[in-house]
Amino acid sequence: MSDASFRSGPVSGPDMAEWCAMLHDDNAIHLRREAAEAAGFGPRRVNPGPANLAYVISAAMHARPGVEFAEITAFFAGNVFEDDHLTVTLTDGVSHATLSAKDREAPVLTAIMLEKP
Amino acid sequence: MMADPRQMPDGWFDLTASDDDRVREMSGAPARTDDRAHPIHAYLGALAGMPVPIRDFSRGMGLAFDAGPVLGRCTLRYPGTLRVGQGYRVKTRVLSLTRKPSRRFGQADHLDLSITLADAAGPASILEFAMITPVSGDE
Repeated sequence: MSDASFRSGPVSGPDMAEWCAMLHDDNAIHLRREAAEAAGFGPRRVNPGPANLAYVISAAMHARPGVEFAEITAFFAGNVFEDDHLTVTLTDGVSHATLSAKDREAPVLTAIMLEKP
Repeated sequence: MMADPRQMPDGWFDLTASDDDRVREMSGAPARTDDRAHPIHAYLGALAGMPVPIRDFSRGMGLAFDAGPVLGRCTLRYPGTLRVGQGYRVKTRVLSLTRKPSRRFGQADHLDLSITLADAAGPASILEFAMITPVSGDE
């Protein structure tokens, strides 16, 4: 079965604030560039991890309309930053996924998704 | 000072259609065609439905939240179906808290949590996740 790719971006700083509001999470690395820099992440705000996972799940929902998941496991290997351009790659249908940021070699997130029977 | 976070009471999460619409828009998901919500609400609802924000919870566990915690991994399980227009009881359990060496931070605290969203029929979703918090320099 061939791979499927879904591109998105640039990642929006205001969207990060909205994700944080939904998560009741005011971790400053998502909200202020100086906080991200002080924490060693560089000069751009860091996207909340659940938002990164949401991009992956959404790509799977496009690839498999009506899909219902039994279990999703995600490994957060890196970070997505504001203004990043992203690619979700799905393999084995929608059972394996990676999220990659343009100009970075290693995926920032990998996921294994099991559908309900 | 908050009470022991390990003994935290249950919380509540209302999954609204407008929030689901916005999540789909921000994450590039297809539009909703029935009352089934985007699966990421298992995560959003878990944190939003905790009786205290994750910052206060983390501080109550003795973690240096201001140092900028990051996610390690998570598992979302769906014994039921999350639906818009539905309210969910939110139950949080601390699975483990361990301090480990960290290539990035020197030392980091790894907190494993399990948060269940349940309706009258039982658990609809279960989130387990590991949050990695740098150990602050003054410890």
